[in-house]
Amino acid sequence: MRQAGTYSGIVSGGISGKTGPHLLPLARIKKIMKRSGEEVKMISGESPIVFSKACELFIKELTQRSWMVTIKGKTRTLSKEDVASAVMATDLFDFLVNLVSDSGGTHL
Amino acid sequence: MERGGTAGFNRFYKHAKSSSGLSIVHGGSSNSNNSNGFINNTANSNTMPPPCTVREQDQYMPIANVIRIMRRILPTHAKISDDAKETIQECVSEYISFITGEANERCQREQRKTITAEDVLWAMGKLGFDDYVEPLTVFLNRYRENENERTSLRAEPVLKRGIDYGIGSPIMMAPPYGQPGFHVGGHHQGIFDGATAMGGYFRDGPGGGAGGGSSSSQASLTNNFDPDPFVQYK
Repeated sequence: MRQAGTYSGIVSGGISGKTGPHLLPLARIKKIMKRSGEEVKMISGESPIVFSKACELFIKELTQRSWMVTIKGKTRTLSKEDVASAVMATDLFDFLVNLVSDSGGTHL
Repeated sequence: MERGGTAGFNRFYKHAKSSSGLSIVHGGSSNSNNSNGFINNTANSNTMPPPCTVREQDQYMPIANVIRIMRRILPTHAKISDDAKETIQECVSEYISFITGEANERCQREQRKTITAEDVLWAMGKLGFDDYVEPLTVFLNRYRENENERTSLRAEPVLKRGIDYGIGSPIMMAPPYGQPGFHVGGHHQGIFDGATAMGGYFRDGPGGGAGGGSSSSQASLTNNFDPDPFVQYK
């Protein structure tokens, strides 16, 4: 029987306080990592944790760049086209070029 | 009833098609079962055969989480179109695959089987995401520190803290705050430690007394299990 108390507060508080609660589900990240190739065998426990933060940074950057495109127009709605423009304009996002130009077709 | 069931069944498929572009491969075979009865329809619609149909959402981060992160940096009045949300959702998965692929290649070159956090960070640096490497390294180090704190405190009670607290139960992560339920009698002088880890809290009463008598004269780690009362626990 574990006594809840100051210590457990420190443990959970410490983790949430310092590293923040994970915004993205680790199991899902792991699943996506495994899908990335047949040869992916084993994944260390920390890798999804690094990715959870990395994806957060990635989403923020992509969103921010897309929003910069949005506000050039008259609208306040971030659209798929804005995302596509941001991808085209950013070398770092070259790997997404096919995805943003293809997605129009598959979403019918 | 059957008609109703069928209509619902079709509606489900139509909805799935329009929102996600899934191709439902087994649609044909299910329709042919309609005439066999409502029960078959229900069985088919409830248990989607996994190999044919891949639920789109499995391949992506949950859209609610993605949206939550987006909203953190967008102004409050900003709106996001549904297709933008989905596109970014797909981009995230693509990003994970992209980085993992590179990390995995490095592992293969070095003949390692496990992709580690370092591999992931290395791959990010290589693929142009160097701006992320430093914050991620900080994040990872903090995570590791927290993990080490937790696990080291868990191990210590068995050896050291048992001296103070009398119970070396490994289940208790940190006895510093006392466990009223596990007193084991003050007269033992709390020299139970590693030995008590297994049966410490069974020792109240006469058995404990006997154990206490011998343990107080012994150094801690020699097995304080008095065989007689505790044989059953071995």
